[in-house]
Amino acid sequence: MRELYTSELEELESLLREEGQLVDRAIRAALNVLDRDDLELADELIAFDDEIDRRYLTIEQSIPSLLARQTPVAGELRLVLAILYINLHLERIGDYCVTVAKLAKLAHGLPRDRDVLEALEEMGERCREMLSTGLEYFYARDFTDSKALIEMDRPIDRANRKLIDRLIALGPEEPQREWAMRMMLASRCLERIGDHAVDIGEQAAYLVRGRFEEFTDASHKTPRATS
Amino acid sequence: MEAIRTRIELAGQGRSSTAGDREAVFEARDVSVFYGDQRAIDRVNIDIYQRLITAIIGPSGCGKSTFIRTLNRMTDLVPSARLTGELRYRGIDLYGPRVDAVEVRRRIGMVFQKPNPFPKSIYDNVAYGLRILGMKKDLDERVEKALRSAALWDEVKDRLKDSALGLSGGQQQRLCIARAIAVEPEVVLLDEPASALDPIATSAIEDLMHELKRDYTLVIVTHNMQQAARVADMTAFFGLEVSPDGNRQGVLVEYDETEKIFTNPSDKRTEGYVTGRFG
Amino acid sequence: MTEPAFSLRTSGRLRRRQLVSRMMGALAFGAALLAVAVLAIVVISVANRGASALSLDFFTKNQAQGFNPSGGGILFAIVGTGVIVGIATLIALPLGVLVAIYISELAPPRLARVARLALDITNGIPTIVIGIFVFTLIVAAHGQSALAGSLALAIIMVPLIARATEEVLLLVPSAQREASLALGVSRWRTTFSVIVPSAMGGVLTGTTLAIARAAGETAPLLFLTSLGASSYADANPLHPLQSMTFAIFIYAEQADPAFQAKAWATAFTLMCFVLVTSLAAKLAMARYRKKLEG
Repeated sequence: MRELYTSELEELESLLREEGQLVDRAIRAALNVLDRDDLELADELIAFDDEIDRRYLTIEQSIPSLLARQTPVAGELRLVLAILYINLHLERIGDYCVTVAKLAKLAHGLPRDRDVLEALEEMGERCREMLSTGLEYFYARDFTDSKALIEMDRPIDRANRKLIDRLIALGPEEPQREWAMRMMLASRCLERIGDHAVDIGEQAAYLVRGRFEEFTDASHKTPRATS
Repeated sequence: MEAIRTRIELAGQGRSSTAGDREAVFEARDVSVFYGDQRAIDRVNIDIYQRLITAIIGPSGCGKSTFIRTLNRMTDLVPSARLTGELRYRGIDLYGPRVDAVEVRRRIGMVFQKPNPFPKSIYDNVAYGLRILGMKKDLDERVEKALRSAALWDEVKDRLKDSALGLSGGQQQRLCIARAIAVEPEVVLLDEPASALDPIATSAIEDLMHELKRDYTLVIVTHNMQQAARVADMTAFFGLEVSPDGNRQGVLVEYDETEKIFTNPSDKRTEGYVTGRFG
Repeated sequence: MTEPAFSLRTSGRLRRRQLVSRMMGALAFGAALLAVAVLAIVVISVANRGASALSLDFFTKNQAQGFNPSGGGILFAIVGTGVIVGIATLIALPLGVLVAIYISELAPPRLARVARLALDITNGIPTIVIGIFVFTLIVAAHGQSALAGSLALAIIMVPLIARATEEVLLLVPSAQREASLALGVSRWRTTFSVIVPSAMGGVLTGTTLAIARAAGETAPLLFLTSLGASSYADANPLHPLQSMTFAIFIYAEQADPAFQAKAWATAFTLMCFVLVTSLAAKLAMARYRKKLEG
């Protein structure tokens, strides 16, 4: 039944999956750029974002048409909306990766601090984990273990705090100070990537449960629902 | 053999269906239809493209059924009906002086709103046209092919000799489709083919239309615009106009790619109709 | 708990209604019983009175020589009726169906009305008048023959077949016609391949009625075939042949009770003939319908 429609939905989801994989590679590449201070890789990453944007645009343009033509309801409506939002979040994550790459380029040649770089690596890897977990929940349509996703946020917070303390400890002298400022912005980007990954998880939950819930946000430490 | 492009791929290129590079099968120029002195349809100009599904939507009385029946000269059956303007099929004037309506209907088939199988066996229904039109060679194969194309073969292959009237509504309608395509027309016209069917049967017919599109040009009249949205590549919206002398007639308001009609129509009347604001 | 404003309990009104309902039911049943009873009475009494003459010989032998009351049979009359009515049917059936097709499909409304009127009037013409008409047409010049009889009977049968057929043709949904035309089938092929087969039931009914009527006719045949007929079984339509109805007349006129018994027996045979035709038509229709509707 409605084979054309079903295949359109499948195609959209598979594009999203591709985009997710590309974004995952982008995060890893951004972390590598920071770790190795690799200018070439940074440029490649910036160019790579075009691939992500292409898929983003395709999905973005298809959805109004799909909504108008196929009038999805119930689970399929939630699926289309989830795809719409996840698409947006992925694209933003991609953009943040580009920002990290640009920051790394600007910070090239400046003295680096091992502890800070480790913290950034830790934050980045936790982000990747959250992203892939959230996406897995989405693909599997299974949201039995939401706690795990919320829990993953904590290591990022911890790493972030540790990082800020370390940066402050580096002191006001140039050129450390410039490097610290750039890395501060980079950590900000990674934190935002983490937020978007959580949002993707929320979309997966919405799809499965039919209710939209915010897991946590800055003002509420415990999860609350909008029913 | 053109590649069958998916909508998503095309969306990635910022386009919808590829109507632009197709041949026009029907060309209507200022076609008006009168019943006696009453004008039912006023000066329609439209090109219907090959191997696409073209839907005609609009409120009741807007002349959609009348228009589709001009395409295979079924309007001839109404003695008071007449047509002005020019209606060409592959370049030939359908209403020209030496055109045989019976030949026209051989090439342009029609499926009706209420399934109307003959009170004969399933096999004989499909074979009916073949036998009379002299396509008797390999009758069994032709019947099977038609039933397969109509996605009905698996359900009836063991009971071809049973009466067609024993089938369900959806099956009967698919049988009527098989009967129509058995005689190998070039075009199939469908006048509200699913309005007498339940949603599951409707869905089956819609899937079938997507399949048939590969080999036939389809024109469908539907009062269900969601159906047009799901199924059609091109959509024509017929509106109702009241002429100065109080006569209600149908006019072609807008004709465009379905996606455009349902996401961003050019005419306010179209927008009003598809959003359900007015009948 | 307050009492509702209306009451649904039984009252005198209900009892009256039930009584009326039961009475009407009984009346209807009685009428049906009466109808069946009349038929049964007629068949039984005819069979009874003719019983003494019924025998195998009766059906298989011709009129005995010397007009002998005992022995012999009505084979000649059976064959005669068969041939006369048979040929009449062969003429009337296609004619009646074609007329019906014309009226229901082709004729402009005014002509159709005229044609229908003509058929109804023909139906009402006393059959003896039809007999005289055919007499002056054929018999005066060529002498009596079964064919002339068939012609008169055909004239009587056509209105019955045509009207019954027309009724059923009108009942065939126009959707069927549309479906066939939309396939690119011409009007005539459509009429004969779809419309007429669907109307078969009515055609058969009309034909059966017409046969029953024709088989029972005596008066027209008087001029056309009865008087010159022989009492030997003959199937040649150009010769005058005898009908069962005339045989009944002749036998009934005789004083000898044995002949009278023969008259009753012939009447019984004629009734059976009509009954069998009726049943055969019904059977054919049932099988046809079964094939159609699965």
